[in-house]
Amino acid sequence: MDHHAYNALRSAMTRRHFFARGAMGLGGAALWSLSHGSAAGGGAASPSPLSTGGLPGVPHFAPTAKRAIYLFTAGAPSQIDLFDYKPKMAEMFDKDLPESIRDGQRITTMTSGQSRLPIAPTKYKFARHGESGAWVSELLPNIAKLADEVTFVKTVNTEAINHDPAITYICTGDQQPGRASLGAWLSYGLGTANADLPAFVVMTPRWSAKRDAQALYSRLWGSGFLPGKYQGVSLRSEGDPVLFLSNPDGVDRAARRRMLDRLAEFNRRTLQRVGDPETQTRIDQYEMAFRMQASVPDLTDFSDEPQSVLDMYGPEVNEPGTFAASCLLARRMAERGVRFTQIFHRGWDQHGDISGDLPAQCGDVDRPTWALVTDLKQRGLLDDTLVVWGGEFGRTIYCQGGLSRENYGRDHHPRCFTIWMAGGGVKKGLTYGETDDFSYNVVKDPVHIHELNATILHALGIDHKRLTYRHQGLDMRLTGVEPVEPVMELLG
Amino acid sequence: MLCFTLLDALLSTAAARAAEPAPSFAHEVRPLLSDRCFGCHGPGTQEAALRLDTQEGATEWAILPGDSESSEVIARVSLPEGDDLRMPPEHAGKPPLSREEVDLLRRWIDAGASYGEHWAFAPIEKPSPPDGEAGASEIDRFLNRRIEEKGLAIQPQADKRTLARRLTLDLTGLPPTPAEVEAFVSDDSPEAYERLVDRLLASPRYGEHRARYWLDAVRYGDTHGKHLDNYREIWPYRDWVVAALNANKPYDEFLVEQIAGDLLPDPTREQLIATGFNRCNVSTAEGGVIEQEIYTDNVRDRVDAFGTVVLGLTVGCAKCHDHKYDPLSRKEYYSLFAFFNSIDGGPNDGNVRDHAPAIRVPSDQQQARLEELQAKLGGLRRVYLRDDPRLDAAQRDWEDALVALAGPGVAEALVPTPVLYASEWRTAGPFTDNLKNVVHGAAPAETDAFDPDQTWTLKDGRTVGWEVRPDWVDGRPHAALPGRLASNVVCRTITVDRPTEVEVAVRSDDSLRVKLNGAAVYDHKAQRPLSEGPDRFKMTLKPGDNFLTLRVGNVEGPSGFEFEVLDATVLPTELVDIAGTAPGERSETDALLIRQAFRARTAEFPELEDLRQQVAAVEAEWLAVDRSVPSTLIFRERPEPRVAYDLLRGEYDAQGDPVERRVPAFLPALPGDAPQDRLGLARWAVSEDQPLTARVAVNRYWRQLFGVGLVQTAEDFGSQGSPPSHPELLDWLAADFVRHGWDVKRLFKQLVTTEAYRRSSSAAAEAWRDDPPNRWLARGPRHRLDAEVLRDQALAASGLLVERLGGPPVRPPQPGGLWKAVAYEASDTAEFVADTAPEKVHRRSLYTFYKRTSPPPQFTVLDAPTRESCTIRRERTNTPLQALMLMNDPQYVEAARGLAERVLRWDGPPGGGPTDTARAARMLLLATGRPADETEAESLAEGYRGELRRYRGAPEAAAALVSIGAAPPDPALDTAELAAWTMTANLVLNLDEVVTKN
Repeated sequence: MDHHAYNALRSAMTRRHFFARGAMGLGGAALWSLSHGSAAGGGAASPSPLSTGGLPGVPHFAPTAKRAIYLFTAGAPSQIDLFDYKPKMAEMFDKDLPESIRDGQRITTMTSGQSRLPIAPTKYKFARHGESGAWVSELLPNIAKLADEVTFVKTVNTEAINHDPAITYICTGDQQPGRASLGAWLSYGLGTANADLPAFVVMTPRWSAKRDAQALYSRLWGSGFLPGKYQGVSLRSEGDPVLFLSNPDGVDRAARRRMLDRLAEFNRRTLQRVGDPETQTRIDQYEMAFRMQASVPDLTDFSDEPQSVLDMYGPEVNEPGTFAASCLLARRMAERGVRFTQIFHRGWDQHGDISGDLPAQCGDVDRPTWALVTDLKQRGLLDDTLVVWGGEFGRTIYCQGGLSRENYGRDHHPRCFTIWMAGGGVKKGLTYGETDDFSYNVVKDPVHIHELNATILHALGIDHKRLTYRHQGLDMRLTGVEPVEPVMELLG
Repeated sequence: MLCFTLLDALLSTAAARAAEPAPSFAHEVRPLLSDRCFGCHGPGTQEAALRLDTQEGATEWAILPGDSESSEVIARVSLPEGDDLRMPPEHAGKPPLSREEVDLLRRWIDAGASYGEHWAFAPIEKPSPPDGEAGASEIDRFLNRRIEEKGLAIQPQADKRTLARRLTLDLTGLPPTPAEVEAFVSDDSPEAYERLVDRLLASPRYGEHRARYWLDAVRYGDTHGKHLDNYREIWPYRDWVVAALNANKPYDEFLVEQIAGDLLPDPTREQLIATGFNRCNVSTAEGGVIEQEIYTDNVRDRVDAFGTVVLGLTVGCAKCHDHKYDPLSRKEYYSLFAFFNSIDGGPNDGNVRDHAPAIRVPSDQQQARLEELQAKLGGLRRVYLRDDPRLDAAQRDWEDALVALAGPGVAEALVPTPVLYASEWRTAGPFTDNLKNVVHGAAPAETDAFDPDQTWTLKDGRTVGWEVRPDWVDGRPHAALPGRLASNVVCRTITVDRPTEVEVAVRSDDSLRVKLNGAAVYDHKAQRPLSEGPDRFKMTLKPGDNFLTLRVGNVEGPSGFEFEVLDATVLPTELVDIAGTAPGERSETDALLIRQAFRARTAEFPELEDLRQQVAAVEAEWLAVDRSVPSTLIFRERPEPRVAYDLLRGEYDAQGDPVERRVPAFLPALPGDAPQDRLGLARWAVSEDQPLTARVAVNRYWRQLFGVGLVQTAEDFGSQGSPPSHPELLDWLAADFVRHGWDVKRLFKQLVTTEAYRRSSSAAAEAWRDDPPNRWLARGPRHRLDAEVLRDQALAASGLLVERLGGPPVRPPQPGGLWKAVAYEASDTAEFVADTAPEKVHRRSLYTFYKRTSPPPQFTVLDAPTRESCTIRRERTNTPLQALMLMNDPQYVEAARGLAERVLRWDGPPGGGPTDTARAARMLLLATGRPADETEAESLAEGYRGELRRYRGAPEAAAALVSIGAAPPDPALDTAELAAWTMTANLVLNLDEVVTKN
């Protein structure tokens, strides 16, 4: 059997097992047509009424979120200065991290050579917010206002301690390159709800921290072993918003239409002569391309937004390439049915100068993040849109480099970090998991990044164990080989 | 008999099934068991103490041979959904067995439940091909039998034009020219096709095209792949692959040289370059990394590549625990690891292009020029240092003055500053890779210990030592340090009789690190020219000898330094000594040294100044050529192998028992007399009784032509791989391939001369429905061209293609900001700067720079991999983004214009003028290789005329369209006509027929 067909069939069988019980299976021809859809690619796949291009039988169950927006804070924001309030640390300023806390765990070679690991308490004030009383630092006054809307997870953890492997791990399920990204899995499984826009869109806005920002890698939104059409599409602020979207200089839309009409005429003749269904798909794809040439500019044109909405996102919303503009775009995509939008905001790697760079980073994201969640809510979209906010690991309680009351730096810390989620079936006003007084070890309810991803998939109606793709002999999945389960406590 | 029939009727609902033969364990039953059962009841795990991958295990209680009804396995897989005892259980995440699959198991058990080896691990026997029509090739006989069994309709042979294009694209990755097509069409001889095949196989384009598949497989890229993702220089390996394929190097040698070229006796430079195969893994230099962890990652990546590319096995599945499906234990995995773990270099790539071990690979031209310049330099130096009574007399006066000055208290009395004695400068280098390219030893010690006779063997094979430079006079610039992205260490000994603080002025190109007696004195980390500065700083000399080192780092271009002590008088230690010795008693070295020093310092003789300038100019050119010599990453073994350990749970820091180098037990053993190293492993991989290597190779080549492999999972021949569609054909091909000396071109010729390959790809709707992927090959192959072929085809059709073999990667334009959007600021690939020269922009796609964290979008949009991990098989998708790119990418627009220019410059068909319709037909011919029919040509011409009317009224639009691209439009052509034909060509290059191999 065709390898694609196999992957489609696996899901089809699951569906058959749900829907065709007693009928003892479909005929061979019917099975073929299910799998053939996927083998032929895009257009020919058997569509469900609401979406096209996904796998038969997916979603596996009723989703609480139809789409997701992931605000990825790349570089690893300090949970200690933003969310994970540790008042006892105040009196431990410049004291050594107790060996009982480190407990022999490995640390990076950036600080393993330091003669001391002195504790750097946060210099920022924390307060409780909302009825839920969640602790949020003064650096995020607007996000704090969402306290009753979100679930904070304090105990997300990973094994990787360097950026490249860690961000690759959380985004693709493995520390080594080669796997499919979260968004690619979603677009493979769920298809698109708007054929005129990509199912998975990525943005990489600018950032304000002064130090070198950690790199991103196209593999973070790549398709890995999945077919290339599932890779994330970058929505860019420079040049064409989508690569090669614009007609060449000197070619207008009417000329493109004329060219496409004649192209289709030729291609239909080829189809008639040769009979290859792929030719029909190609005709459809060129039409879709033409529609995208209208739908993407429509998406990126904010002129139809009322001033009051623009004001919510802050003044930077009018500058392409800012986090604020990206958030508004994310909302506009949510309205248009884009399945998954991921914004990678860089610059969160505060090895030093927390007091300079961390407020700058928070300044980029605080208001637009609040605006995005609030805007989705007031449009009734938050109920079925999952919003996730977080990075690839956390930061250490001990200081890297010079320590003063006013300024300090923090190294990488994989053993606990905070992310938060909102909307799309996530509990409101919950704080989940506990870390020790040093925000060093998990005390209660750890959430491994595989479990976090399983939970995200679950909200979108996907059983992460059943969204698989046969590659190199394994039924690959986003969440790795070892058994994990979604954290149901996070979902309402 | 009656009884048997009754039983059979009970077991089978369809009467026809009774006639079906017992299922094949290897090809039908084992794959099913592997997929659904082995995960828990296989080589790795045996839940409920049951293993189904061995006959003993399976028949202990779960399977009763001959009695499916009483077999527990059948009972369990037949249970209804929701039953706790049903297999596979819900938590396994495996789909339940279909009715057909249960039935398959039943029939197999009833027929005796015979076990056998996994088909791909069984020795290759060369089966005899079935009978067939007279003249049909063996391959066709195998294929035709299955087509008949399937009841499929065989399509007729494709027409010659279609065939010419298919074959040319398949063998060279480029389309044929109309003249080539015509020559083939008009050649009526029976050998015409074979002649075409031979000509294409001999084309250098053949190797370029084949190489691309190989480079996907071995994950070749031009950057390190992780974190900074800096430039990595390894393109000479890419060129080696092309050359090896063009030379038709037998596949066994091709593999051996790549896996273990360095271990061959007296390896040639080419054999060392070939070992780049083992260096294509992604690597990192991220701050904070733990060396042991990235060392483990690197080695595992190499092992996985060997497993995937050579053996078609997913050995990586066994890195944390025993393989769940194939009989490979974790310990065996780490025994393979032991072959690849002893590289003579560190795991941290240091963000440098020549992460050791690397060798320099000058081209013949460079080598010749270097030798020529060296000879010239020698000649000039002989003249410069010749015996000359006039000069020697002046030198004696100067020596006398020097001796006098060095007399006790003399200098002190003459000058108010302290007096120092300094030796002549000595220099060593170039050291690359952060001084780590030194074999088994430390870089020059910047300490107080100094051995003038010390030498260092660099990992690129050269040896360097301290070279004395009496011609380097203080206060003058010395732009003579060799190397590119390298450091040189220059040193001298300064002697004083009391603690002395001095101020010095130093310039450097580029960075500078100064140490005195091993202690850091001064650091300057900028890229700068020698004219900048100087940097001034003070240092304190201790009584006696002080050892001063300047480490001068170079990023690119020339490199050098200038040094001067500002507030002291410096007397030259050696020169004073030599001057104090009578000329007749001086050693030859000393005599030369002082002559050199004098002639560098004296300003009396204009002819010397002239010679000095000539020497400097030749030296500068030599250094420039030397710096332009590329290097390439190679694999070289450490003298003492590193110990490898069984890593528990696959964790780098959880070392279990040490392991020996061993091949997996389920495969033939390493011969007793074979060396226990990579060379032994490589030879084992291509030995006669190795069942995998040849099967994997022929299947991969098959796939390149037919679009789908005989084994569909071309990267996995293990239990979980798909069984072959034509097992006997696969074995026949593999055996034949080995028997004929692993001759790749011969194999290609065999494949493309089959009837199956030459069939028409047009077929009725039923044919497409019955066999969508075309596994049975009743019709000819048809699929979308790969990204690189599409681009190259457009360049070829437009006449822009630059056909030049090899060389450094090129950067054709891509949309702005793509690298910047992801890159670390300090990366040397953060900023994409496009090449502009047509001879670079229009090279074949094989030579396009591959930045692995942001590969060329023109490729990835069309399913090309990122080259971060091994890719044996590209998927083929069909998306609107591809349509947008093929219509709008400036490179494709420029190609359309090039095609337009070709038809505009065309003189027209013989006997007729170039009408619009004739030009349209010509355009279609150039793009498809076939003549247009009248309707098509007329339609294109009609479209052209419409666009022409529009462009006549919008000259700016016309001018804008035709000026897109690296080359300027032909000024002799009418802009509106050119624009209108460009739009027409844009259409033609997007035709389904053009983007597809037909």
